[in-house]
Amino acid sequence: MKPPKFDYHAPASVDEALALLTRYGGDAKILAGGQSLMPLLNFRLTRPAALIDLNRIASLAYIREVGGYVHFGAMTRQRAIEFSPVVAKRVPLLTEATRLVGHLPIRSRGTIGGSIAHADPSAEYPAVLTALDGDVVVRSPKGESVLKPADFFETYLTTKLGADEILTEVRLPAMPPNTGYAFEEFSRRHGDFAIIGIAAMLSVAGTRCTSARLATAGAGPVPVRLRAAEQILESQGLGDAAIKAAAARAGELVEPDSDIHASAAYRRHLTSVLTERAVRRAIARVEERHGFPGALRASGGMGGPSRPPMTE
Amino acid sequence: MILTTVRLTVNGAPYEGRCEPRKLLVDFLREDLALTGTHVGCEHGICGACTVLVNGEAARSCLMLAVQADGAEIETVEGLMRDGKLHPLQQAFHEHHGLQCGFCTPGMLMTALDFLRTNPRPTEAQIREGLSAVLCRCTGYHGIVKAVEAAARELARDAR
Amino acid sequence: MTGRGRYVADVVLPGMLHAAFLRSPHAHARIARVDVAAARQMSGVVAAVVAAELEAHVRPIIAASRMKGYKATPIPVLAGSKARYQGEALVAVVAESRYVAEDAVDAITIDYEPLPVVSDPRAAARDDSPFVHDEAGTNVIVSRAFAQGDVDAAIRDAAIVESDTFRFHRHAAVAIENRACTAEWDAGAERLTLWSSTQVPGMVRDGLAELLDIPVHAIRVVAPDVGGGFGMKSLLYPEEVAVCALARLLGRPVKWIGDRREDLLTSSQAWDEEIECELAIDADGAIRGLRARVLTDVGAYSMFPWTASIEAIQVISFLPGPYRVPHYRGEARGVTTNKAPMGPYRGVGRPVSTFVTEVLMDRVARRLGLDPADVRRKNFIGAADFPYRSPSGVVWDSGSFAESLDSACEAVGYDALRREQASGRSGGRRLGIGIASYVELTGVGSAIPASPGADISTGTEGATIRVDSGGSVTASFGVACHGQGHETTLAQVVAEELGARLEDVRVVHGDTAAGPIGSGTYASRSAVIGGGAAILASRALREKALAIAAHQLEADVHDLDFRAGVVAVRGAPDRRVTLREIARAAYAGAKRLPKGMEPGLEATRYYDPYFGTASNATHIAVVELDPALCDVKLVRYVVVEDCGRIINPLIVDGQAIGGVAQGIGAALLEEIVYGDDGQLLTGSLMDYLIPTAAEMPAIDVRHLEHPSPSTLGGFKGVGEGGTIGAPAAIANAVADALAPLGIGIRELPITPERLFRLLGAVPRHRAGA
Repeated sequence: MKPPKFDYHAPASVDEALALLTRYGGDAKILAGGQSLMPLLNFRLTRPAALIDLNRIASLAYIREVGGYVHFGAMTRQRAIEFSPVVAKRVPLLTEATRLVGHLPIRSRGTIGGSIAHADPSAEYPAVLTALDGDVVVRSPKGESVLKPADFFETYLTTKLGADEILTEVRLPAMPPNTGYAFEEFSRRHGDFAIIGIAAMLSVAGTRCTSARLATAGAGPVPVRLRAAEQILESQGLGDAAIKAAAARAGELVEPDSDIHASAAYRRHLTSVLTERAVRRAIARVEERHGFPGALRASGGMGGPSRPPMTE
Repeated sequence: MILTTVRLTVNGAPYEGRCEPRKLLVDFLREDLALTGTHVGCEHGICGACTVLVNGEAARSCLMLAVQADGAEIETVEGLMRDGKLHPLQQAFHEHHGLQCGFCTPGMLMTALDFLRTNPRPTEAQIREGLSAVLCRCTGYHGIVKAVEAAARELARDAR
Repeated sequence: MTGRGRYVADVVLPGMLHAAFLRSPHAHARIARVDVAAARQMSGVVAAVVAAELEAHVRPIIAASRMKGYKATPIPVLAGSKARYQGEALVAVVAESRYVAEDAVDAITIDYEPLPVVSDPRAAARDDSPFVHDEAGTNVIVSRAFAQGDVDAAIRDAAIVESDTFRFHRHAAVAIENRACTAEWDAGAERLTLWSSTQVPGMVRDGLAELLDIPVHAIRVVAPDVGGGFGMKSLLYPEEVAVCALARLLGRPVKWIGDRREDLLTSSQAWDEEIECELAIDADGAIRGLRARVLTDVGAYSMFPWTASIEAIQVISFLPGPYRVPHYRGEARGVTTNKAPMGPYRGVGRPVSTFVTEVLMDRVARRLGLDPADVRRKNFIGAADFPYRSPSGVVWDSGSFAESLDSACEAVGYDALRREQASGRSGGRRLGIGIASYVELTGVGSAIPASPGADISTGTEGATIRVDSGGSVTASFGVACHGQGHETTLAQVVAEELGARLEDVRVVHGDTAAGPIGSGTYASRSAVIGGGAAILASRALREKALAIAAHQLEADVHDLDFRAGVVAVRGAPDRRVTLREIARAAYAGAKRLPKGMEPGLEATRYYDPYFGTASNATHIAVVELDPALCDVKLVRYVVVEDCGRIINPLIVDGQAIGGVAQGIGAALLEEIVYGDDGQLLTGSLMDYLIPTAAEMPAIDVRHLEHPSPSTLGGFKGVGEGGTIGAPAAIANAVADALAPLGIGIRELPITPERLFRLLGAVPRHRAGA
């Protein structure tokens, strides 16, 4: 299990990297954190003519607050995200999801850009990007474009990224106030890819759910935004019946495939189970912030006595 | 064959070698630098036997090219002993029967070292989660978990 | 631990080359054409050797056996005419580096003619199946039965018959160090040295001598530090033979370091069985009879030395467990399929037999409304019954079956747990408690070979102990350590028996040039047989040393104390000589020795424990189910085991807990999966899942220390028990948690997917999902 031969380039700038990509005309691969590409090379399942290593482009590693967003340079390590106070404060869903990405020694090298561009549908970051409806910034020789996750992910391990393009930045919206979040995942062992993962974020105003965001990992060829389930919560509130209805709907919205670890039917079942758990934990987090455990569930149901939660 | 020069420090000492760009860091350490303490177990980043510290952070040396480590500071199991004395983690592994065949041990030690730096006072559950990065097939992890608990206490005492 | 270990991969020899193998991508295919021309022309490539070229230098590996109903299947070192499993080696490439060797493998082209793939063992057993080995004329290469009494009548007349068809899926040992070997041929001396990551250097040496036509004394096999074996490294593999033949052919050392893909494709696999079983019970819960039919998928070949019979035969040998079973019949068949060959893996057969028997015992309890512990107590072989000849012919010399169960129940707080379980159920908490009691034969002597009929000696081991002129002690053994700590345990035995200081004893093992004739380490034998040989040799030396000391001190032997390297006259501690002074006299010759004594202070002794001895244990697992996720969490685990006299408690605990970890993996996580086309679907450690620290509960191990009545030193074997008990205990715990839903467990591992299907069969509201 040794990699096949390849040319190796470690450009110092994105422009240089783009020029190299153009030169190899589709036969080169971008090396980011290497935690997915290197195993494929060692198994000789991929044989690129060249590797273009972005690890020497220092300008691609950053975490910045810009307006209501947090911008991540593509080469920002998952480990840096895990321990970033800015991320913990502004995009805590990402912090929680990061702890589920492999193991710490994997996160030392793995990058946010690499994870998104690799587009493994079982991975956590594509699910978070989808749930938060963030932006993917792509550079090509022609210039820069910004894509939404629904437009970016095409199918298994395949994105809209062209052969001469590089993902340079990921932008995630900061979590609004009165919002709870949760990343629920079931995997065979700690650190394994998710059989199913659910990223959830819920915003509340009074007893209403003003915005629900739910997205999957492992439930098909791309991360799936569970819009119809979100709408149930947004229209019916956060009572028990609404949560159960949303969870049941979630399972109907996905078209997972079967593999040796889980059948499509089981994955669909898990999608419902984990959606329910993610929603409940997200609600618990909002309540925690407002200091009224159980407040939303008591009030958000079908016309129960309402007691407005405090605003921050 | 195009060879590239790789200069790096390992356990504080400077090294230089020439290798193909495709050479894995773990093979470079073992074959070119004759530092065979780091082991190869799976070459796809799952077993963790090859874990070393790269600029202070645990990483799989089977998922890095040697050329990527040019200019880096690498720490391996060979660097843990100081002045002929076992590192507190090694001492604890010895006392708590934290190894049997010893093959996963280098990766386990380097992973534990990084883990304890990021989490100096871990619970047992956190230790188990942290060490789940490295596979051991002999011990059932019992002695390893005990050893890391003991080393955490010892290192906390040293830090004071 | 300090980076100074020396494993095979660390062995570097001048001029050494690296081997890689082209392996068949097909599970079953005729090889029409092989073209190695391009590979041979690559820079850095020294040789690309095809089967026909190697055949002139080496014979195929044949695992012979006298067993009736057994057919050997010759294993070509490189397959030339057809490939019988995915991963079988077809061409060997030798190059300046492994990287280049793999490039050359890529440059080889082979034309295959795919053949129908034999993958389902049931279909393979039928007459109309294609054959894996045409010469055998059948896929059924093992066929054997054990019987006692009239089991058909027992089943006909029983008050209750619990029966089911059980399935234990295929597993792999997954040592963290992959298989590896390096060979060096000394053309001048015509001597071969093989460094191999093996448990059985003695057997490898004997096998190589035969296959390469080299005298045994010209072969040295060294097992340096070995990174785990678990039975998988107790076989002779084609790669070991190939590197020796290639080193001799090329005149340069050849190294092969197996990678993880090769390990999962080609290392021996285990435990792939279907068991139809009926347990006949009287109205009072007493076992009347047991009838079983076992079908084992042995993969593509019968491997040397154990043969393909070992797994299936062990299942029918040990299905009766620690219970009185008056009427019994166990039939076993082993069928070849186009999968990696089967070999022994920790527990061999008994994880499977214990699973079946213990699950049935729990079902009997449920059916009779008895507590599972009580049903076991009622049927255990009692103290008065020993020695007890089991219906399969195994003789149990001793056992503390009821005591281990009682003690395990106490340790886990059984009664309180049952109450917790009952109260939890009303709140929707699904707790399950599972018991497994078993007995295993360890330290097997020559009476019942470890692999009946196989043409090998497994019942004996030797020890050579030498006190040198400096008074330090070297104890050499044929056993080989792969993490069991023999350096410690055997040194302890020698120091104690001889009277030497522990720090003066050095244990040498794993080198056929250094030790007495022996085979290696497997089948929980080293403490018993190696320890027994150590005792005999130590005692011989002690007697001689005392005689010399008596001569030196002018005292009567009976008045002397000998401990910690010093012999002193009892009551007069200043009249003393050290072991060093005794040794100097021993080598100085007649002038300083008692009249007529032969000089020297060295002894070699062999030991054969004949029947071997019984180790037993009870495991109790406590699980909590999450029926919505279909997830099983282990919350408690208790082992109470009797491994006889304990040499080193830390090492015994390590063996027990490590064994349990593999049993947990077997029960919940691990499964080798092949497609119907014979393609391995679990070819990486992302798909073959062994437990991590996060999946392991804390394990509480307690010991009953009843010395074996039939082995020297009172030792019993300890290497495998953990793996034998755990799958059954966990299966019973999960079944216990599911019992209110009327769901039983008949298949291992219990993956989330299987649990999902089981739970899907009951109405959702009852499952609490």
